[in-house]
Amino acid sequence: MGGLFTADVENRGLVLDPRTKLLVMITLVIFALGGTGSDILLVRCVTVAVSVLPIILLITAGQRKKALLFGLIYGGIKLLEIFVVSKATGAALTVIGLCCMVFVRLMPGLIMGAYMLSSTTVSEFIAAMHRMHVPQQITIPMSVMFRFFPTVLEEFSAINTAMKMRGISLGGKHSGKLIEYRLVPLMVCSVNIGSELSAAALTRGLGVKVRRTNICKIGFHLPDGAVLLLAAAPYVLWILGMIGVVK
Amino acid sequence: MSIAARLKDISFSYPNNSEGALNGLSLEIRQGECVLLCGASGCGKTTVTRLLNGLIPHYYEGDLSGEVTVFGKDIRSTAIEELAGIVGSVFQNPRSQFFCVDTTAELAFGCENMGLAEDEIRSRVDKTVRDMKIEKLLDRSIFNLSGGEKQKIACAGVSAMLPELIVLDEPTSNLDLDAIDGLREIIAGWKAQGRTIVIAEHRLGWLEGLCDRVIYLEKGSLSCDFSGGEFFSLDTEMFSGMGLRAFAAKQNFLESETGISAIKPFENSGSITLDTFVYSYGRHKALDIKRLEIPAGSVTAVVGHNGAGKSTFTRCLCGLQKGFKGRVTVGGKACRPKDMMRLSYMVMQDVNRQLFAESVLEEVMLGADDGAENEAIELLERLGIPELKERHPMSLSGGQKQRVAIASALMAGKRLLVFDEPTSGLDLKSMECTAELLGSLGKDITVLIVTHDMELIDRCCTHILHIENGRI
Repeated sequence: MGGLFTADVENRGLVLDPRTKLLVMITLVIFALGGTGSDILLVRCVTVAVSVLPIILLITAGQRKKALLFGLIYGGIKLLEIFVVSKATGAALTVIGLCCMVFVRLMPGLIMGAYMLSSTTVSEFIAAMHRMHVPQQITIPMSVMFRFFPTVLEEFSAINTAMKMRGISLGGKHSGKLIEYRLVPLMVCSVNIGSELSAAALTRGLGVKVRRTNICKIGFHLPDGAVLLLAAAPYVLWILGMIGVVK
Repeated sequence: MSIAARLKDISFSYPNNSEGALNGLSLEIRQGECVLLCGASGCGKTTVTRLLNGLIPHYYEGDLSGEVTVFGKDIRSTAIEELAGIVGSVFQNPRSQFFCVDTTAELAFGCENMGLAEDEIRSRVDKTVRDMKIEKLLDRSIFNLSGGEKQKIACAGVSAMLPELIVLDEPTSNLDLDAIDGLREIIAGWKAQGRTIVIAEHRLGWLEGLCDRVIYLEKGSLSCDFSGGEFFSLDTEMFSGMGLRAFAAKQNFLESETGISAIKPFENSGSITLDTFVYSYGRHKALDIKRLEIPAGSVTAVVGHNGAGKSTFTRCLCGLQKGFKGRVTVGGKACRPKDMMRLSYMVMQDVNRQLFAESVLEEVMLGADDGAENEAIELLERLGIPELKERHPMSLSGGQKQRVAIASALMAGKRLLVFDEPTSGLDLKSMECTAELLGSLGKDITVLIVTHDMELIDRCCTHILHIENGRI
């Protein structure tokens, strides 16, 4: 299962603290997506390095295929940006330049998001939120939501299977009603499962007034240090650039 | 002996639903007792379990009158979360009772909610794991467990909270006989620890010698109150009269040899032949069948332990699983997976997933030509549901939905019907109806039933196909 918050605990490779992942995410948003400090060459270079980080993290989490795919797409577009966009003119520049910019800026964040969700378990997530002093009223509904996504996906694929067996597909007789046919059973099943799931969670005391404890061990280790160091680099270089130490 | 739970003059009804209502039920459960609640579908046994764990009135709403006290606490004025440490619950559907994705976190989940100290939780989890001998299930992904293993984890998660009372609502509906034995041991362990246990269940055989007391409910009232010994010495006819499933299957078909064998006289008329049917997940060969002939028009039960490859087999046969190798020949003609998908239909355990239209008639007509309305109505008559044609499929009962799914498959010209556990959680009467229906589909239709239900097999199947480790 490579879905949301369904990390395969049996072979998960390198484990990072959820807070480390969150910091990398924030860095990517500020520098890769926001383009902060892009007038300083060193910041630009380090931003590329940080942008490649999610792909490496995917590899460490054992999701090699996904990493390879994302890596090729990102690498291709980055090269396109460097070599083609600088030479293009007129309409070509607008179209290719715009596409490249959107992809290059968005992709690292999206890949990081995919890595975060697929490599974190629900209990790690709750533990991390707890350490960051986020109130339970926010973390518990969120964790319920995350627990629910894989179930909805499972239902969705079962419904697709059923539709295939009935010969209802694009180009078939009922293609106009494809969405309706899919949504009605999906909603009925999701509501059923959702209500059973919350009943089960309630009987096991989720939502008790006392402060919840957590046996999940999270914490910063050597790999976290290395990743955080890299994630800190653009901030440092940016500040140095602002005060004129580097260019 | 002190009283664990007391229900006094309880009447309850769900909004918009007459099933499962209770009428003036009074019941006392003593501490340390192991009580079985039984009765036909809709008799109210699940409702009783929900009263005990507080889901009624705090989660499922309805009209409730009367008094329920659990260990001296009035259920109405006690929040459901407060009951969590006293009453533990195990439910029937493994898909919807897990909260975490790894087993260790799942075991600790209840204790974490109660805010116990970390060391206390660890020692409780360790002790539970030792008591239940589930060391090898620790630190596993929930998604990689079999049904029986999942149910064990559910029981262990409840057990770690050290509840005084444990209620189980049809815990065996998705389990094979071996897994049921495992569950029986767990319950025996709880009994030895002096916990009070209440089980609502259709399958009765596995509880013989375990239950001290059997409550038979009828239409929401207490009809008989047996001691365990009395109840299990009743004869089979008595059971049928009460609408209960016989408790000992006449034959355990899992003990038969692997491969296909006829259990009833059957006239062969062609067959579906499978050659070198192989499917692998990664390096693991999930299915490896050299040659197999399924007689056309037969009703064949597909049996095997949880995880033996039964569902992989049926998915491959229906052309749903991509990347399997092998040849299927139907009536002398080689069929590709695409052809098999056109010929076959799988009726899923959760039928909700395969009903799409706004009315039953529209549903049945989906895969047919527009002019075939009369034919569709005829078909509905044959299946005994002509009066439902205007209803919305989602508003029907489980058995009726199953019939609509069958009707839509027959209407689309399907020749091979595959059923996934069609009788899980059904009482005697509904099971008999399903058995009769499956047996009456006629010579043109080949039926495969994936099931653990030995009684169903005994009633309607002509052949047994036993798969173990993906082989026959």
